[in-house]
Amino acid sequence: MARQEAKKDVVIVGLGWTGAIAGIELAQEGLEIVALERGRDQATVPEFKYPDQIDELTWGVRLKNMQHPRRQTVTVRRNGDETALPLRALGSFLPADGVGGAGTHWNGLNWRPQPEEMRLLSHIRENWGDEIIPEGMSLGDYPVTYDELEPFFTRFEQVAGISGQAGNLNGQIQPGGNPFEGWRSTDYPMPPMPTTWDSHKFREAALAMGLHPFPAPAGIASTSYVNPYGMQMGPCNLCGFCERYGCYQYSKSSPQTAILDALKRHPNFSYRTHAEVLRVELAPDGRTATGVTYFDEEAQEEVFQPADIVILAAYQLNNVHLMMVSGLAEIYDPATDQGVLGKNYGYQMNGGATLFFRDEHFNPFVGHGSNGMCIDDYGMNRNDYGALGFIGGAYWRSGLTNGQPIRSMPLPSGTPSWGAGWKAGVGEWYGHAMSIGSHGSNMSYRANHLDLDPTYTDRHGRPLMRMTFDWQENDLRMNQYMKARVEEVAASMNPDIMQSSFKGPGARYDVRPYQTTHNTGGHIMSASPNEGVVNRYSQMWGQHNVFAMGAGNFVQNTQYNPTGLLGGLAYWTVDAIRSQYLSNPRPLV
Amino acid sequence: MLTFLRILTALALIGIVVLLALIFVPVRLTQPTEQLAADWQPDPGHGEQVFHASDCVACHTAPGGMELAGGRGIESPLGTIWSTNITPDPETGIGGMTMDEFRAVMLDGIGRDGRHLYPAMPYENYRLMTERDLRALYAYLMNEVEPVRHEVEPTSLTFPFNMRFGLRAWNWLALSHDAGFTPQGRSEVMDRGQYLVEGPGHCAACHSPRNIFMAQDGVQASDANFLTGGVVDGWNAPSLRGEGAAPQRWPVGELAAYLATGRNAFSTANGEMGLVVAHSMQHLPDGDIFAIAAFLKGMDGAPVEEETAFAPPGPIAIEKPQADQAGEATAAMLTEAEPGMPLGARLYLDNCVACHFASGRGADGIFPKLQGNTLVLGSETGPLLSVILYGANVPGTEKRPMELVMQGYADRLSDEEVAELATFLRQAWGNDAPPVTPAEAAAERENPRATHH
Amino acid sequence: MSDLPGYPNRRGFLKTSAASVALAGIAARAEAQADTVPPLDEYWPEYLDAAEWAFVMAACARLIPSEGDGPGAIEARVPVFIDRQLADYYGRADIWYMEGPHDPTAPPEFGWQTPLTPAELYRQAIPAFNAWCERTHGAAFPDLDPQAQDEALTALDEGETDLAPELSPFFTTLLNNTKEGYFADPIHGGNHGMQAWVYIGFPGARAAYREWAGRHNVQYPLGPVSISGERA
Repeated sequence: MARQEAKKDVVIVGLGWTGAIAGIELAQEGLEIVALERGRDQATVPEFKYPDQIDELTWGVRLKNMQHPRRQTVTVRRNGDETALPLRALGSFLPADGVGGAGTHWNGLNWRPQPEEMRLLSHIRENWGDEIIPEGMSLGDYPVTYDELEPFFTRFEQVAGISGQAGNLNGQIQPGGNPFEGWRSTDYPMPPMPTTWDSHKFREAALAMGLHPFPAPAGIASTSYVNPYGMQMGPCNLCGFCERYGCYQYSKSSPQTAILDALKRHPNFSYRTHAEVLRVELAPDGRTATGVTYFDEEAQEEVFQPADIVILAAYQLNNVHLMMVSGLAEIYDPATDQGVLGKNYGYQMNGGATLFFRDEHFNPFVGHGSNGMCIDDYGMNRNDYGALGFIGGAYWRSGLTNGQPIRSMPLPSGTPSWGAGWKAGVGEWYGHAMSIGSHGSNMSYRANHLDLDPTYTDRHGRPLMRMTFDWQENDLRMNQYMKARVEEVAASMNPDIMQSSFKGPGARYDVRPYQTTHNTGGHIMSASPNEGVVNRYSQMWGQHNVFAMGAGNFVQNTQYNPTGLLGGLAYWTVDAIRSQYLSNPRPLV
Repeated sequence: MLTFLRILTALALIGIVVLLALIFVPVRLTQPTEQLAADWQPDPGHGEQVFHASDCVACHTAPGGMELAGGRGIESPLGTIWSTNITPDPETGIGGMTMDEFRAVMLDGIGRDGRHLYPAMPYENYRLMTERDLRALYAYLMNEVEPVRHEVEPTSLTFPFNMRFGLRAWNWLALSHDAGFTPQGRSEVMDRGQYLVEGPGHCAACHSPRNIFMAQDGVQASDANFLTGGVVDGWNAPSLRGEGAAPQRWPVGELAAYLATGRNAFSTANGEMGLVVAHSMQHLPDGDIFAIAAFLKGMDGAPVEEETAFAPPGPIAIEKPQADQAGEATAAMLTEAEPGMPLGARLYLDNCVACHFASGRGADGIFPKLQGNTLVLGSETGPLLSVILYGANVPGTEKRPMELVMQGYADRLSDEEVAELATFLRQAWGNDAPPVTPAEAAAERENPRATHH
Repeated sequence: MSDLPGYPNRRGFLKTSAASVALAGIAARAEAQADTVPPLDEYWPEYLDAAEWAFVMAACARLIPSEGDGPGAIEARVPVFIDRQLADYYGRADIWYMEGPHDPTAPPEFGWQTPLTPAELYRQAIPAFNAWCERTHGAAFPDLDPQAQDEALTALDEGETDLAPELSPFFTTLLNNTKEGYFADPIHGGNHGMQAWVYIGFPGARAAYREWAGRHNVQYPLGPVSISGERA
């Protein structure tokens, strides 16, 4: 028999970016709110303090800041014919654990989607027709437009504290910014970060080839910063310990620097850590939720937390899993194309080139997660899909993020992986390499989806979620196109050695190397209940008092890192709750 | 109030001599400085405002205890002085206290039972408060504070300091000033600031020096040594007057930001001042904060910028300051990062440069400047050593809610290294203060001061 | 020669002694504050038994050999690192999902699928590989000459040693652990004196370089600092 807590107006599952946003905005309405966080409490000091955080082995390699698979993981297979096996140790992607969530350990790259990406299906139909869409690709338009979201992108950028250079201010193209970005109503809240030698070289090369380089939009403070909640960041010192680490310097945009201390001042907000939500409880008719049941780690017992509104703000994979084990929607079956939950799981298609310059010094440890110059000349809204033979695009970035030697040790191909040759190689080449990365789109497909695993269970006896995912020909073609373009630019820079790594025809999904933590879709937004799990306000079609945050809402992934879009969607969603839902709780569509 | 031990020592010198004479002279209580109608009522919120300005919480709330229920101990080798319960609980608090009795406490330092209070209670300063503020504060404590039943341990010091009538002699010396407030009259705003500084804010309790009797040497703005700096429990309470003082170097807006948020473009509030910000200043209305800032800036005649309110919160981006001329050489040496640099500089690069930068000028509102920093340069080296060893903490405040914490380096640095580093900080970027010895570092490591986390 | 109580005199220890002499110059440059890692010949393993320790010593010495520029794994005390890692949460796979059923024959792209923890993997793989060495080269791995050791490791790397599928991640694990111990902060037991960082020019745990973002194509000159404050 579960213990029962006093009823709240709102229960939030997960206290990362979107949970913190929901918490502080709804706290301003005077609602009684509790957030339930599976992991530990985390603050800049002591959890992320210097020098303890500057430990590549513990945090970068052993991944102790991350979700521990022992407590939660997925099974993976590449197609319906394989038997899925558990992801026993993290690799390809790194969901977080603890207060602040993945917002503590990201690189800080904060992009808005392109307007065309928000209406991708229409963009394709209008320009090339349905016939260029390959069999099995499952595309849609977001049921909300870029123009509607623009104020909320701006809001998130101001709260999060983003450094960058606008390329399109209210339709006016700005020199030095990204001329291909969607319009923005105001400039970035901070100027761009300084440019390191590698990104400077890339910028010069790109300009010489007629491309349009601009500084990466960085959730990294270039200056002292105060956000609209009075929260603060200090100028980044390019410590080179960004991704996988909490920032010891108050410099990386995170719930800790942007929201949490301001949120904790609201007496009507509270949060509990080591409280893992096991399921959303439904009213007998299944049309509303009555609250959530969580596992209280300290008491070692289940607790029912009743609430009028349930906000699912866990990581995308965990949000989808929670919906599945709670029976909130019908699970998608690719064989019949029926069901909606788990549909349109998306990821990212990346590649890159490494350029070795024997006599140049890049000091790779001088870096930050969002370092570098980018180009968007081969982005989603620039490519002629009909002529190129694929649907997709990529932005590129050149800028070293770290010089941590266990993992960041590019060596010319042919260098032995061990022995005297390896040792000579690390001595010869460390600090003499730079890279150009291509960060590309990965379309949605019927075959790539999420459901429940028939065999493996978690420590609470719940079935693990099963990921069925493999690379698809369209995206591999896109990647090969990027390879050719990247190599052109790289060659123009005359490196001593150049090598590239882009997945090509026949590539299979491999869970071992880190790729990105940009898992998207699964509880996608849709214009009608039979196409997706939530409506345009992230409100569940089936239960109007359940709202789902995060990248699970993405109809298909964009070519960019997802945080800017999911942050904007979070503010858009919470605005709808404040302005439309609270006064009259009901389905908003 | 934590200089109390030294007050006690002074008391020993004067108290016993006049002991017998004291016993037979009757005590006279100060009368109200303004006659108010018996049914006079403060405006809503008035009492709470006075309460915050007077920083009652600081002493009358024990760490982890119920607010205002007393029991905060001020340690001394002669015994612990325990702050009293000032909630309106009739038995353990001040529930039965009349307004006249309350006034006697605030203006004369005389308790309900006629006993003299130890001057840890800053009645030297509260003596300047208006009758209206006293009445409002009384009403607030009686009516708006929840009574808490909490018996506080009585203070019992060793002889002769337990002879409270000895305090009368001290009061003759310390309370030579009349009750009530005398404005300088330069402007309404500055007069308001003067009142808050002199009276409820009791700034002189720390920021004025002590005379040979350990009474405040400078209680009012008309006093020569008013706010010219004191030493409190091993912390320098820096001078607030004169050319190099912060109020003269900082714009009024920055001074106000420091008081209201514990942080500004120059510095952060640590130690006792951090507590003042946390308990008191952050709760004052903008107008009062700017009035205090204006008074401090202009009290010796400097021109005062007319600002009355804080800018709304962000987005605000402020570029990191570059090294100035005085700091250029140090900044260049640190930037070059040549292996042959002195050990102190190397330790700075290995431990400090991340936040305070090669310029030594930190970053606005978050990383304090070390160049010209009173804590770095203080005659008391303990606070600097304490920050290096055990870190520092700036409380979250209403306008700047983020708690700023610097981690300590006790585990990473030896006493010799701490001394080298502290000496470097005191002599880099044009700083000019005497070196620090490993023995001082060892002493601070052995007896860490309360960091008030 | 048997400095390690109860442990057989192995070639690895000879190498260690030679290495520590060779190292004197570098070690003197590192102003260690609190050197908690004893020399290899005084180290008493927490997890590995004598034969396992001898194997790890010998294997590390070939994976990152001492000859040439820069420290070898022995000078960096990588075996200490590996032993401590295996005794700790990593060795026990504390944070990994280890529930069955297991399919160790799964393609490598599925990641860690052996039922063994890293510590168990070492425990089972070392005798199996030593046995293979004896069958193939006539002696257990530590007793082979360096050239035969390299050949044996190459065979292990290429999956030509007939190890059971459960043991298939062994070479990759061993190699990764060796490189980890070479480059990790010295608090973990390896990278002794931060020699590996000095060798490649990584400043370690300093993690503060704002002034260097704009210093283009200039080699950063200052040596490393460790988490514990050791300088080199």
